[in-house]
This record gives sequence, structure tokens and C-alpha cells, in this order.
Amino acid sequence: MISTLLALAFVGAASADELEAETCLRAKVWDGYAEGWGIRTMTTSALQNGQTKNYLVTLYKGNEYQIRTCADANVKNLDVYLYDLNGNVVKRDETTDREPWFGYTPTDTGTYYVVLHARELVAATTPAGVAMAVTYK
Amino acid sequence: MSSRSFWSIAAVFTAVACTGEPTPTTDTAADTAAKDTGAPPVLSPSDLANGSENIALVPSIVETQRAMEAAGITTQLAVLIGEKPYDLNNDNKDNVAVRSGVIIANLLLTVKDSKKEQLQDQLTKIRAGMSTLEGGSDIDAMLADIEDRVKGDSVTRDDLLKEFDQLSGAVIPELEFNGQKRIVPLIQAGSWLQGANLVAKAVKKEGKPEAADSMLKQPAVVDYFIQYVKNEGSEKAPAAITEKLAESLTTLKGLAEKKEPFTNEDIDLVIKTTDDVLALL
Repeated sequence: MISTLLALAFVGAASADELEAETCLRAKVWDGYAEGWGIRTMTTSALQNGQTKNYLVTLYKGNEYQIRTCADANVKNLDVYLYDLNGNVVKRDETTDREPWFGYTPTDTGTYYVVLHARELVAATTPAGVAMAVTYK
Repeated sequence: MSSRSFWSIAAVFTAVACTGEPTPTTDTAADTAAKDTGAPPVLSPSDLANGSENIALVPSIVETQRAMEAAGITTQLAVLIGEKPYDLNNDNKDNVAVRSGVIIANLLLTVKDSKKEQLQDQLTKIRAGMSTLEGGSDIDAMLADIEDRVKGDSVTRDDLLKEFDQLSGAVIPELEFNGQKRIVPLIQAGSWLQGANLVAKAVKKEGKPEAADSMLKQPAVVDYFIQYVKNEGSEKAPAAITEKLAESLTTLKGLAEKKEPFTNEDIDLVIKTTDDVLALL
């Protein structure tokens, strides 16, 4: 039933492309539960080629976090970053793929931005579906 | 919220869940992808703020409990929850939203050890709250299903904790509540306020006020709540709870911006301020 809840979380996904992204991410979050990861949030969006999407996030000192993502097949390279409020990159993924992620353990409680960047799409004029989750333990 | 059937989705994913086998992921592909050397986008503070979404901003109460333990506070928040009758006849939606948030927080903290009757009572109240708030038929069906499984003792408390962790973090924030934009922030405010109240009581009990710094100094979170409580979507005269909530959040924002570590007096102020709101629910 847990995965049913995750499915329900995304039944409002706007397009088939976002559905592909959310299905991929749901599986990762589902696996994470078995390893003790809880979920802060999970959401989907559509990005144009080169477009960014920003999410404000509070991270607690003392907790471990993972920023997980998935994109649909129209994405050649999705990037994910953690910025501080001054615009400095605190952490980033370093892969050329459509399922980037990274872990982060803050030394102080603070507010950051998770930024998704559709760096390269296969069909540049077609928007891509992307999904993002913040998990913790 | 959806044209897709909850039950068709449930059938598909229950089948997956019941296999007991983790769903394969594609991490391997990601791990072996070529190294990305592209420069990150240059984003100014205003670039970052413009159009940013707040869906990931507010920590869950389970996450707060874990951070508190990391800060050396061993008191379990669940033991600090008081017995309180809620005013279920008050159908003002602001009140219902904040109250629902508090009850969800309480359920998350107590679900592993609570008596069945208490759990059923919490579920009934949350379901009624979601109905009053126009959460839609999908979440009503989901809560009904959980009620049935609790009644029939066919779900473990560990699984229930995970399900409600997802409900508060991934399901409710995605609900549209029939276009009422302030409902989600008010539900989150209720949960966060209950968390702040219990964290303050825990650090007071252990005589470690400074330990609350990492949990309660979240000015961006308080700002987010204030924005909705004071401004957005206020279509009718503010209810007593909303006025008291705004007043309390303003006090909490002042404390959240404090540079020095929290003192016993600060913690007493957090407790009084949050108690004042919670007493109205």
C-alpha cells in the first residue's frame, strides 16, 4: 500500500512525460524506504531545453539528505544542484544522464534551493517531464 | 484532482508491493554515466527566489524528531502530546486546516505505539478534515482504506508510519483542495506549530534550550506561513485562530532570526506562543 500512496501523490501529473519521470522516481523512493529513508516531498514538472526550476528547501543539521530526480526519455542530460541563498553552488551532481542525484549532510540548519536544470534535451523544442524528491534519514 | 482512478492505481501498485521484492531502479545507469563537466547556471539570489516553489520547504515532524535526537535530546515528542478535545463543530476552513495539521503530526509521532482506539479516532478526524477542506474523493478513498486495514489489524504500525509520512510529505501538498491555495500551507502550519511546541517542551524538560536552535530557527518557513495567513486567499473576516496564528508566527519569526543561542526565556516564549494557538483548535 505504500507505493499506492506514492501513486496517489502523482495522479495529478500533467502529461505522459511527467508520468514517466514520476514512475521512475517512485521506484527509487520506494527502495529508499527499505534503507531507512523517509520522504520530505516529491513533485513533478515540465522543463524546456535549458530551463531551470527552483525549489526552496529547509535542511536540518544532524540529518542526512538525498536529492533524487528522474526525467523522461526526451532528456539527454538533467542536472541537479543545491544553492545557498546567496547563489553559491553547495553541491551538484556530476553525471551526464537523466537520473542525477546526490547526498548532503548539512553542518547547520539552513535554507537552500534545489535547482533542476534541463541542460540538454533530445528534441530541443519539446518540453521534458522531470520529477524531484527530497528524502532524509 | 485526477481523472485517473485511485483504485486502478491501487490495484497496480498493491500488486507490486505484495511481491515483497524491491522495484528495480536504474541507479546503475546513473552511476556509470559520463562525468558532467558543464558549468552550473549562474543564478543570483533574485533569480533563485523568482518563481521558486515552496513544496519542499517545510520539514516533517518525523524529520524534526530525528534532528532533535541528533542534537542530543532524548525525550520522545510523542510523550509530550497533551490530551485535548478538538472543536469538531467549528467548520471554518482555516481552523479545520490547522487542526488537521496538528492531528496529522500527532498521528505521525504516536502511530507506532498508540492504542487502536486512539489511532482510529485520529484517522476519523483527519478524514473528516480532508472532507471539509474538499480534498477530493481520492484521498477520502485512501483514508477509508487505511481505516479498514487498521480496523481489521491488517497493517503493521511501521507501514502505517511510512504511509502517513508520505501522506503529509508527498500527498497532501499535491492536493488542490478545489483551488483553495491557503489550505496546504495552513495544514503544514498546524503540523509545524505542533512540532515547535513539542520541541520547545522537550528541550525545556532536559534543560538544553540551545539544542532547539537547529529545529526552530527557520525564518524562511515562518515567512512562508505568514504570507498565507496574513495575505493570500483571505476572502472572509479572519477567524480567531487565524488572527492568533498570525500573532504567534510573528513572535516566532523574531525568535527564528535571533543570532544568539536560545535561552530558557526564549523557550518559554515559544511554548506560550504555540500553546495559545493550539488551545483554540
